[in-house]
Amino acid sequence: MASTQPVPDGIVPVATELLTRFRRLLGDDGVLAAADELIVYECDGYVVEKKAPDVVLFPTATEQVAEIVRTCNEFDVPFVPRGAGTSLAGGCLPVGGGVMISLTRMKSILEVNLQDRYAVVQPGLVNLHLTRHLAGTGFHYAPDPSSQGACTIGGNVATNSGGPHTLKYGVTVNHVLALEVVLPDGQVVELGGPAEGLAGYDLVGLFVGSEGTFGICTEVTVRLTRNPDAYRTLLGIFETVGDATQAISQIIAAGIVPAALEMMDQGIIEAVEAAYGFGFPLDAAAVVLIEVDGLEVAVDDEAERIIRLCQEQGAREVRRAETEQQRALLWKCRKQAFGAIGRLSPSYCTQDGVVPRTKLPEILEFITDAGKRHGVRIVNVFHAGDGNIHPILLFDERDEEQIARVFRASDEILGKCIDLGGSVTGEHGIGVEKLEFMERMFTEDDLEVMASVRMAFNPRGSCSPGKMLPTAGACGMEHIERSHPGKQAAS
Amino acid sequence: MNEERKSTPDETGELVPATISELGRLLAANAKGDRRPVLPIGGRTSLGFGFPADPASVEVTTSRLDRVVDYPARDMTVTVEAGCRVALIQESLKLEGQRLPVDVPLAHRATIGGAIASDAGGPRRFGYGTLRDYVIGIGCVTVDGRRFKAGGRVVKNVAGYDLCKLMVGSGGSLAVVTEVTLKLKPLPTSSAMGWACFDSGDTVGDLLGDLATSRARPVAIELLGPKAGRQLAAESRQELPAGPLLLGVAVEGNPVEVEWQAGVLDRELRAGGAADVTWVRDGDTAKLWSSLTDYQLGGESPVTIRACLKPSRTVDFVVAAIDAGVAVQAHAGNGVVYGHLPDDTIDAQTAAEVIEPLRDLAVEGGGQLVVERCELGWHNALSMWGSARADWSLMTAVKRQFDPEGLLSPGRGIEAALQQLALGGVDQ
Repeated sequence: MASTQPVPDGIVPVATELLTRFRRLLGDDGVLAAADELIVYECDGYVVEKKAPDVVLFPTATEQVAEIVRTCNEFDVPFVPRGAGTSLAGGCLPVGGGVMISLTRMKSILEVNLQDRYAVVQPGLVNLHLTRHLAGTGFHYAPDPSSQGACTIGGNVATNSGGPHTLKYGVTVNHVLALEVVLPDGQVVELGGPAEGLAGYDLVGLFVGSEGTFGICTEVTVRLTRNPDAYRTLLGIFETVGDATQAISQIIAAGIVPAALEMMDQGIIEAVEAAYGFGFPLDAAAVVLIEVDGLEVAVDDEAERIIRLCQEQGAREVRRAETEQQRALLWKCRKQAFGAIGRLSPSYCTQDGVVPRTKLPEILEFITDAGKRHGVRIVNVFHAGDGNIHPILLFDERDEEQIARVFRASDEILGKCIDLGGSVTGEHGIGVEKLEFMERMFTEDDLEVMASVRMAFNPRGSCSPGKMLPTAGACGMEHIERSHPGKQAAS
Repeated sequence: MNEERKSTPDETGELVPATISELGRLLAANAKGDRRPVLPIGGRTSLGFGFPADPASVEVTTSRLDRVVDYPARDMTVTVEAGCRVALIQESLKLEGQRLPVDVPLAHRATIGGAIASDAGGPRRFGYGTLRDYVIGIGCVTVDGRRFKAGGRVVKNVAGYDLCKLMVGSGGSLAVVTEVTLKLKPLPTSSAMGWACFDSGDTVGDLLGDLATSRARPVAIELLGPKAGRQLAAESRQELPAGPLLLGVAVEGNPVEVEWQAGVLDRELRAGGAADVTWVRDGDTAKLWSSLTDYQLGGESPVTIRACLKPSRTVDFVVAAIDAGVAVQAHAGNGVVYGHLPDDTIDAQTAAEVIEPLRDLAVEGGGQLVVERCELGWHNALSMWGSARADWSLMTAVKRQFDPEGLLSPGRGIEAALQQLALGGVDQ
């Protein structure tokens, strides 16, 4: 896909003196400034808009991050933090260029306290590595984005990441107790603490999901969750997408909150089956992956109720994962579904909308229609229990006209999510991708209040400029030119 | 959910808007006109908390903002106006087999807006979390009358800053909460609470450590001192065991889950040193839940403190508080402890002598101790919030963005705590 080559006015390339200062602070090995090396950092999982930073820095300690930030301020250069770069909304895009602060070398687990159910980790720690580290303890870190093998806890904090199991256990913000943060003025401050219920404003809750615009988190205290006593993993197979979404609706309405409730439609099943060979029926219109967890004495009964509800909605078959290997493979198919899409199409664009759960049949029908209207093939794999859809629009990026149709279809789908009382993003974030939708979801007053809250943290707008709010950063940074506003493609 | 209708404003000058728009107009008029300090009022259950309100404040009451805006039960969310009484909301939800699983003191009087402002919670925070985990959308009016919202009506949503979190526990100092969307949970069909008494803190400490990996999943773990135990037994009209330390564990779910877990916990409590375990079940637990929740407020006690610390440090704190004559109730699984000083606490100096050593323990335990409520006139002689924490100056920066002139709930929140420290008016 064609990328933009923005050259915003008034942005001076990073000066030699600045580079010298950074090299002195971090060593040569902690500074990337050669153009060919910077290309890797010109975008994240959102590849529609590209802008290479002027320099990428790799601090290994909080005090280095603080010194970088103070130096940036001294030279009046914007800066943006980056974790693994798995954002699907351009959250790591260095709008206006400047300094990118990569946290990937700050990846230690500093403390695990099982008695008090928390762990203290550095932001560059890969999500899955924490869970692996906790194996055998009876505890885990609940948020499990599908990219958990790559994405970092710091990035999860920035975007308030979700994942399949957040249906029952909540998203990142429900699992963060405290943060050490380098504020945009270079001060290091601890928000919250390992004890819960501290007096005063919940700045931890506010910071989580602020997409890097409130500062750079350098330490995260996460809550640890007990492993379930038992779980049962089911696969409902349906003849129509409508039957599948009705079944999902019925399960929630029956007062059952499964640990996860994920749907894949026929298009994605085809790709996943080719990639992982689970044994999905290729002629089914949709499969629903359902996991219930709880006490051993209760999960079978709950599983039976779910099976009955699926059958009442016309399920062709409901299978159980009989072994741990089968369960692991099922989850692999779900979590790595995106990796299989390459088999369907050279490029794809994943959307991230939310509707009230009872509106799932309606939005799925709308997605099918939108695909037909615009001649775009769309496949679906998503967090059905939360009403969080991820339609994947397939295209060939060499065909500009096709791209235009993909964008029109995406726009309509997200617009429909708003009309149905939902949101344009459930877990990927606003980033730069969805800035234009903010004015459709929020009033001018809503956005002004949000902007004023940002002022308390980031008055100069130099930290992650051009993100989250459709207003320019306070230091006058122009938003980069966008050839395809409001769209996202990942390949 | 209709309260008695009042005129606007009533004789006392209290503003009782009938709609959110009217509330906006009244606040806008105040901001452009008299610029009187504004004190948002819900059910008047937490007004005694913290520093006293500026007596010049005009009270803005949300009691007429009591509509259930939307209850799509099958989506398991509800949108209500802020003046709805919590107990009435729960009654509507019960009809659909759902609930908001947060304990709110004096729920028949407390409004949901007030509960959010004061971050109300209770024993079941161990099993279900707190209001911050359930508020998914919020509507507010700023002190100058502008309406704004954040979040939405869907359970998963990351569009915009999460101002819902900011409003929970903000004490009415940032904006007046007018409308809220809550995520709901299924109502359990059965519950049980097991109570046992112990002689030594060490025994209880070991037992709590073991309970942390029990196959049962209690929704509440309560540790009471002897005084609190007696008072709660009397209040809830339950025969609870009496002893130096009273431990209660509660489970909820369907009857099979509850029965099985009660069996597990009964064995674990006995193995941990309990001579006997008294079980309270199903319908009989209702009164106990509300007594446990209301007890946090402290009734007639001259001073109520609230400490939070790492859960593993709770028992030591509780024992020290009991030794100091404090009636103690700990949500032991969470490290949240309420203490009510004895009636013979004759003055602020006496109170401070009890509070400060306990505060040191709370701070050492990774947390803090705040004076929630005290006799009038003692506020300036007691350190209400203790030493400043690292994030307090950032909190004041946030406050100034919402309310640059300090007209909203003046003298009550973070600024008052900082001001008290700056004035050095207390023994710190």
